[in-house]
Amino acid sequence: MKQFGKILKFELKGYLRNKVFVGITVFLMAAITVVMFIPNIITAFETEDEGSTTPTEFPIMLVSAEDETLSALIREYFENAFPSYRVKSSQGSLDEIKSEVISGNAECAFVMNSASSYIYYVNNLSMYDMNTEIANTVLQEVYRMNAMIQNGLTPEQAGEILSVQIESGTETLGKDQMQNFFYTYIMIFALYMVILLYGQMVATNVATEKSSRAMEVLITSAKPVSMMFGKVLASCIAGFSQLVLVFGTAILLYNVNKDALSNPLISSIFDIPVELFIFMIVFFILGFLIYAFMFGAIGSTASKLEDINTSVMPITFLFVIAFMVVIFSMTSGSVDNTAMLICSYIPFTSPMAMFTRICMSTVAWYEIAVSIAILIGSTIGIGFLSAKIYRVGVLLYGTPPKMGTILKTVFRKQ
Amino acid sequence: MILELKNIDKSFGEKEVLKGVSFTAEGGKAFGLLGRNGAGKTTTIRILMNVFPANHGEILIDGKPINYDKIGIGYLPEERGLYPKKLIIDQLTYFAELKGMSAKAAVKSVDFWLGRLGMTEYRNKRLDTLSKGNQQKIQLITALAHDPEIVILDEPFSGLDPVNAMLLKDVVKEQIAKGKIVLFSSHQMSYIEEFCDSIAIINAGKVAISGDLHKIKRNYVRDKLVVSTPKKQQIKTDLGSICTAREDGTLLIQLASPSEKQAMMKRLIENYDIDEVKVFEPSLNDIFVEYAGEQI
Repeated sequence: MKQFGKILKFELKGYLRNKVFVGITVFLMAAITVVMFIPNIITAFETEDEGSTTPTEFPIMLVSAEDETLSALIREYFENAFPSYRVKSSQGSLDEIKSEVISGNAECAFVMNSASSYIYYVNNLSMYDMNTEIANTVLQEVYRMNAMIQNGLTPEQAGEILSVQIESGTETLGKDQMQNFFYTYIMIFALYMVILLYGQMVATNVATEKSSRAMEVLITSAKPVSMMFGKVLASCIAGFSQLVLVFGTAILLYNVNKDALSNPLISSIFDIPVELFIFMIVFFILGFLIYAFMFGAIGSTASKLEDINTSVMPITFLFVIAFMVVIFSMTSGSVDNTAMLICSYIPFTSPMAMFTRICMSTVAWYEIAVSIAILIGSTIGIGFLSAKIYRVGVLLYGTPPKMGTILKTVFRKQ
Repeated sequence: MILELKNIDKSFGEKEVLKGVSFTAEGGKAFGLLGRNGAGKTTTIRILMNVFPANHGEILIDGKPINYDKIGIGYLPEERGLYPKKLIIDQLTYFAELKGMSAKAAVKSVDFWLGRLGMTEYRNKRLDTLSKGNQQKIQLITALAHDPEIVILDEPFSGLDPVNAMLLKDVVKEQIAKGKIVLFSSHQMSYIEEFCDSIAIINAGKVAISGDLHKIKRNYVRDKLVVSTPKKQQIKTDLGSICTAREDGTLLIQLASPSEKQAMMKRLIENYDIDEVKVFEPSLNDIFVEYAGEQI
């Protein structure tokens, strides 16, 4: 226990003196500061720009129809529907219209075949080009309006029918997936990043001691269990404090700058309920530890730093698969599918899967308790197993042995 | 204090590395653990240091099973290396603390040893800024700073210049004088002969020979004479095939039996110009080659 404390202290000191570690933390804090003030920055630029923007600077949208009344009518409607375009009627031939678009004189053109049929010409179709959708809605409305008028309704009556407002309200009795989506997503992503980053760090740390032969003295000075737990907990504390600093900065700045950030999406991230916050911390720490132990054990089997990348591959794969399952389930909206149910009890996937389910669905307390109990038990088990692998692994040099061989050695009676 | 290893067996999987290794080392004396590469020396040392347990056998201190909480062991591994990127003072105190010292005592002891080895100026430098010899001296401190009862030095002299080798010799002599058990493992026989009263030669996982070095030497059949003379050719011609020239310029005479010793000495002195004649005693090198030469 005494040794464990000393190892923990030494390893933590190592992180604090590591310029890259400190640099990344400071950079992340600076980046989050910038992000938190983006609304203010945008507003500052907007007020400056207001005077200089004139309608003549809007791009040109051409509307062409053989029937001139149709052309004029559609132009009128489009002017309202596309406020960021200068809508112009064109009487030119199709080729002329095309060359206008290609040369960039006009950004796009609607060539109407009839009131309900057109071809949209545009030079490069952007991913975010919504013009056809808007045009469709407008044209549908025009068509319906005309149809209603032809059937004897007054334009006012037709207008009223078309613009009827539905009053509705939603009361969520379980979880609001939309509202919880973002902080669940952020937590899953942070867990993913931190585990891969720090896992690699633990593995590299162990392999460096081995390749520099500091291990020869270490292994005769300290117990493998103390070494393993000291190292992994130090990386956990380092990683966690990095996150606390970064997210702490974010929360602090959110409270300072609340007025500018009064976006419902942003406040949904920061208004995380207390019990979810606690679950987040529990799953985060346990998830971190179980993977860090495995990374440490893997690191001990590598003789050279170059071997680490291939050695950690299976763990990384396991982790990426877990991440994929969770993210796909989250985006598909069905977080209670079979894969997620299974994943929320497997210790390697439960930190992400169970947390997501708690946030975005309704999970009974005993399910959570069972999942956390399995996770705690496995984390401790993996911790001791990894210490045993470590003891065997650190004394083996040469080609990294197969996991099976190592486990055989570990479980052989000595 | 007496350290005894009794019938230590160790296998890794199918491979039997140690087969009943036993030897005894005494406090206040240096003990030489010899053997060819792969003979099982490092495994023996690791078992002694409790890195892994033996399959069978026991390790006793003064007749009782060793208690690792009470008996401190210092170890200078053959494969040298510490943390290249960390400050020397930080890592040395870390290792001393791992061995059970308080933070304050560790700093004090490390500072003493840095001074003793003339390394104080490097106290706050990173290890990788030092020369290889100086890194060795730093590593020696990890073996000595916590004032262990048993000091294990694996090839301690390799890579040291003559001045540093002298310094290390003095340090080792001090440790022996303090009554500690100093365990040497080396292929440099001259150092072993200089320091060690007792040796054990391990060959293929077994102790081929162990005990007091002088006794081992005396136990050799005393049926050879070493002759130093300017009249080499004459003696060789007169004695025929029993007389051979040695590399150092002396002659070696093989007797039919040890009882002929007096008669032959008398004959040589009376008939030839002889500078020196003595009974041949094997060097440690000769003993090593004889016992460790062939893998049994």
